[in-house]
Amino acid sequence: MDAHDVNFLNELLEQDVELREKIKVQATDLDKKTRIMVGILNKIHSTPSDAIPPLLDSVRPILRGCHDTSAAIAALVPPHQFWRWKDTWSNPLRTAVYSAALVEFLSSGSLISLSQTSEVLGIKEEWADRFSIAVEDYLHGLITLANELSRLAVNAVTLGDYEAPIRISVFVKNLFAGFSMLNLKNDTLRRRFDSLKYDLKKVEEVVYDVSLRKLAEPSSFREHNIWVESSSEGT
Amino acid sequence: MSSECRSVQNTFIQFGQELDDQNDRRERLIKASRDITNLSKKVIFLLHRIMNEDAQDVLKHSKYAYERGTEKLREVQEIYATIKAELQGDLFWRHHRPVSPGLQEYVEALSFAHYLGHGTLMTFTQVQCTLSDNNGVPYFPLPKEDYLLGLSDLTGELMRFAISGIARRGGRTRALQVCNFVRGCRSDFDRFTPFVRELRKKQIVTNQSLEKIEDAVYAIVVRSSEYDLPPEMLDDIISRSIPRFASGSAKAKCSRDVGSDDGHEDDY
Repeated sequence: MDAHDVNFLNELLEQDVELREKIKVQATDLDKKTRIMVGILNKIHSTPSDAIPPLLDSVRPILRGCHDTSAAIAALVPPHQFWRWKDTWSNPLRTAVYSAALVEFLSSGSLISLSQTSEVLGIKEEWADRFSIAVEDYLHGLITLANELSRLAVNAVTLGDYEAPIRISVFVKNLFAGFSMLNLKNDTLRRRFDSLKYDLKKVEEVVYDVSLRKLAEPSSFREHNIWVESSSEGT
Repeated sequence: MSSECRSVQNTFIQFGQELDDQNDRRERLIKASRDITNLSKKVIFLLHRIMNEDAQDVLKHSKYAYERGTEKLREVQEIYATIKAELQGDLFWRHHRPVSPGLQEYVEALSFAHYLGHGTLMTFTQVQCTLSDNNGVPYFPLPKEDYLLGLSDLTGELMRFAISGIARRGGRTRALQVCNFVRGCRSDFDRFTPFVRELRKKQIVTNQSLEKIEDAVYAIVVRSSEYDLPPEMLDDIISRSIPRFASGSAKAKCSRDVGSDDGHEDDY
């Protein structure tokens, strides 16, 4: 190889290293922000339902704070190279998706869509080949959400909220049904999906306990189309 | 079914479609990449075979090998031309992992043919040119990493080429040339190892190959300096010491071989 070619390659490789470092700084920044959010959101397990809205309000500014990081990453990544660098930030991004999805569920009770998530995190559609939320990352975030909700179902009852497990049960069931429609290849997402049934089971058991003892209003069961005949027969 | 439930289902139907598309594409690319690896391996064998034939004009013969190899590699370039749509835009980096092994094998075969034809290392730009359409538009951006890793494998082929041909006409000069060339590769690649993770491991193999060539070259030089022998006789002596380099067998056998060689040479 003559000196010219060596230098040419060396320069290209140096540029990549520099870029990697810059992206890593932003990924670390995103990581810090998501850790703060997760820290706050952990309090849902010990917060009575009427104090939840202010808790969520304290998370929202941090979600908005992610806009800067998103823009910074989108500006760094060269066109068409989204998948080349994606691994750098996919972990914090999954956590960000989870945080956005949890906030949405706790405030409206519904599932945040992929485009809504992008909007919440300030990720623009025209960045698709540089920075976006890959379907896989979004789905990872949703599985984390289901894991967390199964815990919440238990802890909400402890705090005296007997309706929450029923809402959660319907939600996680829908999620599970959705995941069942996908042909997942044998990767971490698939393994995490396999664990989803345990979350489902855990929530169902809580619903069973609550309905057996007639702790929740029968109307809330009907509202959520939950079949309680068998448990009421038992009493 | 509640409306919430239905909307969840609709969302997932869309994802299902996208995931299926990408998985199918991935499978197609894996198959293509296997074909490319296979064809490239065949070209490497072909080049070795041609170079092991006896030839009057050595230079002309390696030009011929180069032409045959380049012609065969056009089949690989055709495969790349057909899968280029699957690798457009951000798809290339999305599916880089399954494509990468075939690409490295192709670089190895291509640069081997190039070495036989020109005696030089094929440059990054030259390789990218073979992966472009008639207007010079690349099918996809060639990653520097795959280029370097492919070249790193080339040194192993050159070792085999130098040693298996050492007893042939012109083989000794060739071994010396290859030795210098691989030495150059080794020191060039050393500069790149901090950037390419997999290159570190391959450099160890390159070093081993280089050592094998150096030992073979040493045997040539030692013998030709001490004894003023006609080339045909040197061929004789060296062909007897080849097996241990080619197979890298135990040292004990080596020393025995050397001993018997010495005894033999004393007769002259």
